[in-house]
Amino acid sequence: MKQKNYQKGKTGEDIAASYLQGIGFKIIEKNFSTRFGEIDLITVKNNCLVFVEVKLRVGEEFGTPEELINKRKISQVRRMAEMFLLKNKKMANTYQSQRIDAVAIVVSQNYEVERINHYENIGI
Amino acid sequence: MLTKVLSAAHSGLDTIPIEVEVSISKKGFPGFNIIGLPNKAIDEAKERVKTALTNSGIEFPQAKIIVNLAPADIPKEGSNYDLPIAIGILTALEGVPETKRRAFFYGELSLDGSLRHTKGVFLLALAAKRLKIKDIFVPEESANEAAVVRGVDVYPVKTLKDLTNHLVGTEKIKPLKNQNNIKTELEQAVEFDFAEIIGQEQAKRALTIAAAGGHNIFMQGPPGSGKTMLARALAGILPPLEEEESLEVTKIYSLTGNIPPGGSLILTRPFRVSHHTTSRIGLIGGGSNPHPGEISLAHNGVLFLDEFPEFSRSTLEALRQPMEDGKVSITRAAGSMNFPAEFMLVAAANPCPCGYLGDPKRECKCSPRMIMRYQAKLSGPLMDRIDLHINVPAVDIEKLIPQKGKIKKPVNSKVIRERVETARKIQSKRFKGTGVFTNARMKNKQIKEFVKIKKEALLLLKQAVNSYNLSARTYFRLIKVAQTVADLESSPSILPNHVAEVLQYRIRVES
Repeated sequence: MKQKNYQKGKTGEDIAASYLQGIGFKIIEKNFSTRFGEIDLITVKNNCLVFVEVKLRVGEEFGTPEELINKRKISQVRRMAEMFLLKNKKMANTYQSQRIDAVAIVVSQNYEVERINHYENIGI
Repeated sequence: MLTKVLSAAHSGLDTIPIEVEVSISKKGFPGFNIIGLPNKAIDEAKERVKTALTNSGIEFPQAKIIVNLAPADIPKEGSNYDLPIAIGILTALEGVPETKRRAFFYGELSLDGSLRHTKGVFLLALAAKRLKIKDIFVPEESANEAAVVRGVDVYPVKTLKDLTNHLVGTEKIKPLKNQNNIKTELEQAVEFDFAEIIGQEQAKRALTIAAAGGHNIFMQGPPGSGKTMLARALAGILPPLEEEESLEVTKIYSLTGNIPPGGSLILTRPFRVSHHTTSRIGLIGGGSNPHPGEISLAHNGVLFLDEFPEFSRSTLEALRQPMEDGKVSITRAAGSMNFPAEFMLVAAANPCPCGYLGDPKRECKCSPRMIMRYQAKLSGPLMDRIDLHINVPAVDIEKLIPQKGKIKKPVNSKVIRERVETARKIQSKRFKGTGVFTNARMKNKQIKEFVKIKKEALLLLKQAVNSYNLSARTYFRLIKVAQTVADLESSPSILPNHVAEVLQYRIRVES
């Protein structure tokens, strides 16, 4: 099961990455993780460092992916983002402006993308 | 897209219009937020509204929804904002048209999209009339409450779907006709008839006087003598509420959610029984967001406190001021509120902890100290406010077992009730337009104006006051009770024998 979830996450990240690249984002790092948590995608667009949380769901019968991105999740991403900036001082100096985005993906049973939504600046 | 829907909040017995502003923007991260100092019940409205809309066949939008309850600085509570929030979302999203004239939307949603019985609808209708808002949309089960208010069109809403159909215009909901004939009898089964109680003629007489004039009464006697039975039988001789009284009672019952679904104006006189573990706030009212207590629920009716000395001291003493003023004002950080509390107190107690003090047959086992401590609970100022003090002695066994031809059929509750009603009619005629309903509620001004007392009777009263050192309050209270006795006999003025009878109910304070 664990393995399967990991696979699903990986697929989601790949879909999101190619989607974001398509609209002009530059991928810097995928799946940045420390022992405290992880960030799915770290990207850059218009000189702004963008941390992206990706959520993938197979079918929408049991709720939307958006519902799963709550305050707690956002604050976790924010904490991890701060950690990333601490670790990469150079990056922090290069990109003065930063924000958190979310990508919600819904796929069918055989992993065909049904919809993909990108939300800018969800950080509170 | 922004829409505004009108709803209301209750603060005590006042109703404040609340503007429910719903903003839906497709941009931004989807979410659902309610602001404007909501409490937990309102915060949970999110889930109810979301599910009710889904189950009504409307897809809940993936959008950023912000609901603001304005004015934003008044704390709000209750589940009545479900309907306005849902309608706001529907208007913003699905293009459900707004009402042509300003209308109140009020009600709790069920998960299946139907509306549930919501408290406070009667107060809402009164507010609508005051604010000249013609239409109100309320749950069908609560609509009868509002229908008694004239000049307001009450739309009974069964489900969310019905309401959208009405607003779109495909299928109109018919407003309820103004109804004066739906009356709600409070469920208080009268357990005993006066005819079932054998003996205790003095107590029955005193209770009749109390019921006729709304006087407070205190019964003392050994266990098993029938105090509780007498008090419960009292519920059966209370006259129905007058129209004006009924409105006030209905207000309080609507606010506290004590009107059953489909119910309307309350016509039965409330009879509230409180156990002695009732807290002070439960009895008087209060809480950080003040709510009416038992004394307000007993407004224009009876509050029965059995085992009176077992109540905590602070609870009993807190009764003093409302007993005198007929209202209670509660001040908390959230604000100050007034609740009416013109109740008639019926208290019952044993004479001592074991219960047999002064009993001719059984010995009292209490030490003098125990007796003193027990009776000290009933403080002077409190007992001074009780007009009728009676002893309910143990019943003679000979009287309980019927013997041939010896037992006289006692008078039943129906007959006594008729007497009480006649006396009340005389009173309401006398006090018409003064806002006073009973003799017990007369102010000194009304005593001067209405009470006619015979010279000899006044002389007797003066003598009693002098020889027993009665207080000024007691003097006026004696006059009020004497007036009730006179009314029971349809006597135009107070006669000496009326005063004499009343004086014997005062024994306790003086002994």
